[in-house]
Amino acid sequence: MRANFIFSEVWIGLRRNLTMTIAVVITVAVGMAMLGVGLMINAQVGLMKGYWGDKIEVSVFLCSKGSAIPACNGKAITQAQIKALETHIDGVPGVKEVFFENQATAWQNFQEAYASNKALLTATKVEDMPQSFRIKVDDPNNYQSVIQAIQGQPGVSQVTDQKQLVGPFFEMLDNLAIYATGVAIVLVLAAALLIGNTVRLSAFNRRRETGIMRLVGASNLYIQLPFIMEGVIAGLIGGVLAAVILIVTKVMLFEELGRFFGGATAQLGWDAVAQTITFTMIIGVVICILASFVTLRRYLRV
Amino acid sequence: MIHFDNVTKVYANQNRPALDHVSVDVDKGEFVFLVGPSGSGKSTFLRLILKEERPNSGAIHVAGKDLARLSNFKVPHLRRRIGCVFQDFRLLPNKNVYENVAFALEVIGKPRRFIRKVVPEVIELVGLEGKAHRMPDELSGGEQQRVAMARAFVNRPMILLADEPTGNIDPATSIGIMKVLDRINRTGTTVVMATHDAAIVDSMRKRVVELEDGKIVRDQSRGVYGQAY
Repeated sequence: MRANFIFSEVWIGLRRNLTMTIAVVITVAVGMAMLGVGLMINAQVGLMKGYWGDKIEVSVFLCSKGSAIPACNGKAITQAQIKALETHIDGVPGVKEVFFENQATAWQNFQEAYASNKALLTATKVEDMPQSFRIKVDDPNNYQSVIQAIQGQPGVSQVTDQKQLVGPFFEMLDNLAIYATGVAIVLVLAAALLIGNTVRLSAFNRRRETGIMRLVGASNLYIQLPFIMEGVIAGLIGGVLAAVILIVTKVMLFEELGRFFGGATAQLGWDAVAQTITFTMIIGVVICILASFVTLRRYLRV
Repeated sequence: MIHFDNVTKVYANQNRPALDHVSVDVDKGEFVFLVGPSGSGKSTFLRLILKEERPNSGAIHVAGKDLARLSNFKVPHLRRRIGCVFQDFRLLPNKNVYENVAFALEVIGKPRRFIRKVVPEVIELVGLEGKAHRMPDELSGGEQQRVAMARAFVNRPMILLADEPTGNIDPATSIGIMKVLDRINRTGTTVVMATHDAAIVDSMRKRVVELEDGKIVRDQSRGVYGQAY
């Protein structure tokens, strides 16, 4: 096998249908990037779910003086009611841990959370903060029954579950991943067809050469390899572009996401990105080889 | 060398067979003219030898191989032992004489040292010494056909098939082409040449096989183109 002969043939082929080659490269790049983004979103959602699964708690806010919530009737919760409520919560099945957050701690947390907003901090006093019970639950997916058991108890103004806050966000990310994967599948199909067409054009452009090769007894591999290599090289270039897109996405999108929703522990690592890139590259190249091969069977009789 | 035993070939969508129960033997080193009107089956005969087509019935042996039993994988190896020349030369227009001939060796993976040695030899054999770096469009028809013959012969095939090699060439130049074919034949290569050219057949006095409507109507050693002409 003479490698330089094959490569000069490949180079001629790629140059002759440059526009088709560019179309293939772009389609493969975008398709593989979409596939990669879909995979990365999946991994990220998994990470964040794990992170939030530990963190999420049910908050039982207690009535304070002048509360606007109808259940309170504008009266603050009494010490006796707090005691009764705590025993009640302890008795609810599925509750793992309960702790009481008084106004002072609540205010402190509030100050930390809104450290940048000086105006809000000065306008808010300790008395404005609600007292609350914070509940950890055994099964992170089973908040509903716990909430129902506590809602409506005397002195309870509101029961919220943080999952209600992040749930829709996760759902949106999941949908995004499905969407990206769907687009990727369509693009992969388009890429396969484009590669098929490119190879067909190449085969037609070089029907003289391949005819002579056939005649003088060149092996099938020797005749077909330049065409398949064309597809592979286009696929590889597309894969490299896709890798660049994925790296940019990781830096611009996923690191921001991670910062807002979970900090460093919920950060998608570079090893995951590298895995995704390897996977999408392999898929891209395999599709290129398959598409070239199938087309050659039809248009390059050996 | 070439052995046809009761070979029939019917192309798809055609009722009339292109070759109809043809049996013929060509020995090693023979020179055979294949004559007959257009559509008489000459080209089919040549294509069957190359296993470009498969017969509907009958057996074909080429160079000791039963073509029916030859796997597709081994067809290229069969073709390496058969050289081919056509009416339309089939040269690569973007390669010069040397590169056109060398191409036939490159694509079957011959080492470069070997190519550098044998290509000039065969260019000299066909009478194109000094023109190795000409492009095909700088050559006359006769010279282009010599390049095609050099390419067909460079791998020293056992059989050379020529499909109307003088079809596009004037009679005076054709004589030179035939001299090259004769020279190739004298090296021991079996030559089968399909032709319409009565003058050439008559002047060479070689074996003549005449086909008509896919049947062999005459097989004559040291024959002429046809009594009727």
